[in-house]
Amino acid sequence: MTQAPARPVASGVAAKLVGQSVPRKEDLALLTGTARFIDDIRLPGMVYAKILRSEVAHARVRSVDTSTALTMPGVLDAMCGADLVGKVKPWGDLMQDLLVGDHTPFAVDKVLYHGQELAAVVASSRYEALDALEKIEVDLDQLKAYVDPEEAIAPGAGLIQEGITYEFGDGNIFDRYKVRIGDIDVAEEEADVVVRQRFTTNRQAGAALDPHGCIADFDSFTGVLTIYSSTQSIYMVRDVLADVLQMPRNKVRVIIPEVGAGFGSKAQIFPYEVIAAIFSMRLGRPVHLVLTRKEIFQSGTARNGQVRYAELMCKRDGTITGYRDYIIHNTGAMSVWGNQVLHIGTNVGMLPYPIPNIRVDGDIVHTNTTPGGALRGFGIPQMIWAKEQLVDMAAAELGLSALEIRSRNVVRPEVFPFRTPMGHVIDSTTIYDCLQKSAEAIGFEEHTAHPTPYEGIGLAVSMKYTSCRHPSFDTDQSAVRLRLETDGTVTIYSSDVTHGQGHATMLSQIVADVLGVGFEKITLAQPDSLNSPFGLGTYASRGAAVLGTACRMAAERLRERLLTIAAHVLDADIASLEMSNDRVYIARLPDSGLYLEILAGIVAYRTHQLPPGFEPSLEATATYDTPTEREGADGSGNLSVTYSGAAHAARVRVDPETGLIRIVDYVMAHDTGVVINPLVVEGQHQGGFLMGMGMALGEDYLYDDEGRLLNASFKNYLAPTATDMPELDHNFEIPAPSLTIPGGQKGAGESGTGPVPAAVGNAVFNASGVRFTSLPITPEKMLLALREKERQGLSVFRFPDDMPDFTGPRTHAEWPEPDLSESVDFDWDSFDEIEDLELDDLGDVDGAP
Amino acid sequence: MRAFTYLTPSAPTEVVEMLDAHAPDARVIAGGQNLLLGMKDRSDSPAFLVSLGGVSELEGVRAADSGELVIGAATTYATLARMEFTGWHAEIASVCGNLADRPVRTMGTIGGAACAADPRYDIPALVTGVGASLEVLSAQGVRTIEPSDFFLEGGGTSLQPGDLLTAVRFPATEAFTTVVFEKFRQRVFDAALASTVLALRVGDGVIEDLRLTVGATTPRPTVCVTSTAGLIGQPVDAIEPVLVADAAAIEVLGPETSNDPPHLRYQRELIKSVTRRALIRATAIPRS
Repeated sequence: MTQAPARPVASGVAAKLVGQSVPRKEDLALLTGTARFIDDIRLPGMVYAKILRSEVAHARVRSVDTSTALTMPGVLDAMCGADLVGKVKPWGDLMQDLLVGDHTPFAVDKVLYHGQELAAVVASSRYEALDALEKIEVDLDQLKAYVDPEEAIAPGAGLIQEGITYEFGDGNIFDRYKVRIGDIDVAEEEADVVVRQRFTTNRQAGAALDPHGCIADFDSFTGVLTIYSSTQSIYMVRDVLADVLQMPRNKVRVIIPEVGAGFGSKAQIFPYEVIAAIFSMRLGRPVHLVLTRKEIFQSGTARNGQVRYAELMCKRDGTITGYRDYIIHNTGAMSVWGNQVLHIGTNVGMLPYPIPNIRVDGDIVHTNTTPGGALRGFGIPQMIWAKEQLVDMAAAELGLSALEIRSRNVVRPEVFPFRTPMGHVIDSTTIYDCLQKSAEAIGFEEHTAHPTPYEGIGLAVSMKYTSCRHPSFDTDQSAVRLRLETDGTVTIYSSDVTHGQGHATMLSQIVADVLGVGFEKITLAQPDSLNSPFGLGTYASRGAAVLGTACRMAAERLRERLLTIAAHVLDADIASLEMSNDRVYIARLPDSGLYLEILAGIVAYRTHQLPPGFEPSLEATATYDTPTEREGADGSGNLSVTYSGAAHAARVRVDPETGLIRIVDYVMAHDTGVVINPLVVEGQHQGGFLMGMGMALGEDYLYDDEGRLLNASFKNYLAPTATDMPELDHNFEIPAPSLTIPGGQKGAGESGTGPVPAAVGNAVFNASGVRFTSLPITPEKMLLALREKERQGLSVFRFPDDMPDFTGPRTHAEWPEPDLSESVDFDWDSFDEIEDLELDDLGDVDGAP
Repeated sequence: MRAFTYLTPSAPTEVVEMLDAHAPDARVIAGGQNLLLGMKDRSDSPAFLVSLGGVSELEGVRAADSGELVIGAATTYATLARMEFTGWHAEIASVCGNLADRPVRTMGTIGGAACAADPRYDIPALVTGVGASLEVLSAQGVRTIEPSDFFLEGGGTSLQPGDLLTAVRFPATEAFTTVVFEKFRQRVFDAALASTVLALRVGDGVIEDLRLTVGATTPRPTVCVTSTAGLIGQPVDAIEPVLVADAAAIEVLGPETSNDPPHLRYQRELIKSVTRRALIRATAIPRS
């Protein structure tokens, strides 16, 4: 007779997992190719939809005729914009406050950008759908396209978005932004040095390898529309989709497959989700609609490009006293997130300097280009690109080093929390130490003393918000529900989509520590709007801090329940109980106690053992909303719960024969607070760096004069690849635990991106004497700038400003002024008073109907 | 991608018969690294694909009695990159091992690259640079085409429907003392922005033959004649890399004007740089 092997019993107290580089739970499926992404899903009876997109950027739609397409083999249905007028509600703002109805499933009267949806067909196979697309007859009347945002707001420019009344905008200005802190005029008068420069930034794609796409599956019996979508936020998709279709929200179910990255580019609803839903509802069959790479480049969102007329004021000792900027923010033909990018990126982008006097005016402008939107860094890389180069320019005028001027200015309060003039509440930071560490590790002093020709060093510092209260909605919450299963395993329910952030690993580490349950016994359920607790989604570096806090709170509530039961069963004092190794035990006796599965069994099946009156539940739920502020009328406010510091130092080598720029060494010193999993956080910083590097050195949307996107392919969209990466073996964490977040975490996902373009720009200047004011810095621009600089015999040169063919303003005397209409000074405080008025009085309020 | 019929011949003559039978809707597919991309986005949609996958005669390398190196058109880059060639032929392996990425090198073929005739690809420049000839089979028989007749001045090739490129014939090792290929591309997997092939034969320190070809900047590779004129018969030391490179840039793209667009100015600078590098590398070897 064989004897069963003895059950292994862990003895002692298990080590805590938070802070450990636990290998990620997610990786096995990814590395073995068994993870199921959106395009891997096959439902019975599934049919395929394809979208016809505009080949021109700006046109009036005369007609779209799908009648021939409908007769093609295999075709089941077809539709175009005119078919849906009055049947679906336009959308445009975040979540449910649909203030701006600028989004429709298809262009109806006007095409606004190259690649906009014109019509769609659904057929038995994707090939038949593509065949039918070719039979759709489109009659367009092409209009002049506006690619350049400054041209779009020049007097006499044609209107892009027609028929939409903007709250604060005017013409092609979709919205306005302003900051008024201190007194900028006094700062300018009293400054010893003022540096000024016009900077521009590029459009950048999210370029997630997993494509945008969805499968819609309408059940005509239950009336439930199920959408499997590769998105970052299930409730954003659910709430907007239900509103667009005017359906009850509990009849729209959003489920998430494995999502292979998003970087912000999947943080909203897209027309394809609406189109697939309508087809599925009309046919009663599952409809597959996954975009091609070309479609994603054309119609996914891209980083907002900016033109900045930026000025920095300093005292002789290097103290920064003022910042003034006029920003023209290109948000493309339409944008859900575009104005938020400018607000938050500029507000938080002031850090890490507590600048006392700030004046910013921003015009958020429509162009006939790909919609702008969220992308890793969310406006901060653009702001840092301008500001951190101005800091170097000021240092040069003052005879200070790049390190000295930053050391003097980075926020370094004696007492925390510290409120900056802009309103940020810095609850803790080591940004000063990060700066010193990065400069030391890159060899700043050594290089300054003994420079190598065509090799340069550049510094840049930034602080990134950790989650954030967006001006457009007054919430910053995520929730977690935990369930102890009857075998002692634990399931985590959350609606925040993990797509590279390692939620399953990170949340399991938290739960394992609080409940003493084995890491391997914890599972993260797929987000599903029918049974996941409400949360905003995964963006804004909010996972570890906001979701992690909700998870810790839920785990502590569950722990409390389990300890109460155990105290009753063991007849012990609850204060004497501990949890570890899957059991509850009396503190001095870690090898005894009650297994979690026994406790779960009591709750589920043997309730007479429960304390009298105890609710027999194995679940605990918690929601965490950050203690953040709404943006004030002057632009100030503490939008973020805490701030992650990033000090970067780049060493670049410029090839004077080809213009190729190699980042030969790169140092990142970060303050990410309490790091739950160093492996995950380091990966986030590396990925963040890579996207910053792409923005700095190669990526851009190239348009012709008619607004056609020329490089909608990985073949000629120059995203960096593995071979372009430096070793990145100088990564430092200098943690200052957040004093606001209960576990001390800070956001990790985006702090690696913010400083990169500026650090590279400063290093390129140090290496070559060329100050790039425009992104990206391609080899072509580098070499042409060097040749022109040699030709003119200059030691310092600006590109493109000092090139002979440059047509923009060369000095600040020629800079444009923001057109400040009265609506800019709209006073929210008086708006509150208006709300208090009786309805009868409304007629007297200026501008009210 | 549109529907197509996939044909699997086993001999070159069979390929030609199929191409003729289904002209003009038939296309040869070897590695498919260009054609499939075009078919996927429907910019290319042949009704018949004639696969070279089973035509083993078109794969591999042999030495002809003349000393020429005959490379079957369906030989992959990866195969060539692994070859241990002698003399300047080693540069063929080096070029094939340093282009595109590993999956493309595994599938892509030397003949496919020649037929695609993308000016930014390395093979058209190499073939032109060393004066290799292209062996073509059709119903009318075999013919051998010089690069200047194969690659058309405005881009593309002179191949007609029914033609099958069967081999690339590289000159014998004795033809050159050294061949140097230099190129520049932004990312390692990108096609070249400028490339230069320098083929040099030296005897007793004197230049017996010199062929300078610039690729990637014109619709077909440009053989530089005026900028290298007078060098044959001179000692190797007489080559002044900077002067020749500057002259080559003008010969390939014309003289500089004040309203040249930025990309043209950049191409000119790159030609100078890669050509200078090729000249320095090539002349260093025979000197030592």
